[in-house]
Amino acid sequence: MKEKVQEELIYINKTMKIPYKWRTGEVWGEFFRELKENGIIYANQCPTCGRAFCLPKDVCTRDHTRCTDRSKWIPVGPKGTLVTYFMAEQSFLLPTTGEMLKIPFAVGIILLDGATVILQHQLEETDEEKIKIFMRVEAVIKPKAERKGNIFDIVHFKTITE
Amino acid sequence: MANRVAIVGIGQTTHSGRRPYVNDGELIYDAVTRALEDAGLTINDMEAVMAGNMDMFEGHHLNDAMLNLYSGAAGRPGFKMNTGGTVGTMTAIQGWYHIASGLYDVCLVIGWEKHDEGPATPAISTITDPAVDRHFLVGAIGGLATVSVAYMQRSGCKLEHAAMVRANASQAAHRNPMAHMREIYSVEDVMKARMVMYPLNLLMCCPTSLGATAMVLASESKAKKICKKPVWMKDHVTVHVEYGGAQFGIGEKRWTSHMEAGAKLFKRNHITKPMQETQVFEMYDPFAFAIPMWLEDFLVCEPNEGWKLIEKGALKLEGEYPVSPSGGVLCTNSIGDSAILRVAEAALQLRQPIRRCTLHQLYRRLRHT
Repeated sequence: MKEKVQEELIYINKTMKIPYKWRTGEVWGEFFRELKENGIIYANQCPTCGRAFCLPKDVCTRDHTRCTDRSKWIPVGPKGTLVTYFMAEQSFLLPTTGEMLKIPFAVGIILLDGATVILQHQLEETDEEKIKIFMRVEAVIKPKAERKGNIFDIVHFKTITE
Repeated sequence: MANRVAIVGIGQTTHSGRRPYVNDGELIYDAVTRALEDAGLTINDMEAVMAGNMDMFEGHHLNDAMLNLYSGAAGRPGFKMNTGGTVGTMTAIQGWYHIASGLYDVCLVIGWEKHDEGPATPAISTITDPAVDRHFLVGAIGGLATVSVAYMQRSGCKLEHAAMVRANASQAAHRNPMAHMREIYSVEDVMKARMVMYPLNLLMCCPTSLGATAMVLASESKAKKICKKPVWMKDHVTVHVEYGGAQFGIGEKRWTSHMEAGAKLFKRNHITKPMQETQVFEMYDPFAFAIPMWLEDFLVCEPNEGWKLIEKGALKLEGEYPVSPSGGVLCTNSIGDSAILRVAEAALQLRQPIRRCTLHQLYRRLRHT
């Protein structure tokens, strides 16, 4: 049922710019503090099932238990294994910055050594031929002076051979 | 025991990529009018109105209240669902609950989206945590590309199989006058399309469409008076899962929301051989790998068998087990409307005397935790 082409009516063009301030909460706050001050990636643990989360979780999804016991945190990575990935070859508007994505942009789902939950972050390698599932990767962490206590303190994950 | 619930009226707008001469309210009005006409009822027969839409796309919250003049919700009970891609089916399920509980006898359910009014990818990226995941998700397509890569690795499925899925979908959509992308593509055409996000090229992703679908639901006593051929909504399952390693089989046996939903639905309906005991599957298939991958995950076929069924041509419109005979979400994706359209299209399949079908809609709801 093709519609008859009609005249374009008036439209109103608006860009919304809404400032937000998101709180990271106790667990992520501590995770980002460790990353910023010591350059160490931590996983927290569920006191009930013992799983190590990285990125950390405030509450265990399965047990509904708070995972705030700092003595149970363990350093994980910075090496890990690539579980899967995607590779953007077209640019998209980013909701975090309002800028266009710089392509090519490869993102990996990574299991850090010592963790039982996956982490999603950028890959250094952008040649699709060279990205292999289950390849070993390592987090590249910014020098201390440049770290701000956010996820971008990890620049990306580089491919390593062992 | 819950009351039985039937679909007695179905109305949808034509779907397209851009309609600059209508606003979103007009889309809703169109779909509602067609559903009421189909049921032979008027808005005054509706006891409750349920609305569904993902409001980041059009950029206004509480739009069900703003648009209630178009939907007919003014002066009637009901509420709006906002559950992302699943919103349409969830809206139909809300209608189901209201009738199944015995609270109402006739209920109108509506899903809509007008995708040409805002940017889709940044809007959908807001479903993730702003502190960690949002920058690395890149919309729905990022998440779907990662599961596609993992599926290819795990099952042996190739890009060519995804192209076959898209070519089949184009054949089906071509015969659906209400679909958005109705052009016929060959496997070669699909393979030649521009890569958007490896492994998904432009044709292997769903389009951004606009449109609305409305359905009139009725209780058993009313349904038989309203129409000769009510379509019964027999069962539905909603599942939430943990976003973690389980969906990739990391550190534990692979387990996804689809598997949980399929297992529950088939068990309580005593279905042991889904491909023999049901005749059609209208799937929410937002990317070309979805059909082979999720047929396996919904436990409809054996693991790693999905792409072999594609290769055999079994899932085509004229095949032994047609999947998404409407053309699916691959050809029409107006998000708030996509999922309710699956229910409506499945009901339309059942209404047609050509193909006698048993309907077992599988409802999925993914949530990242």
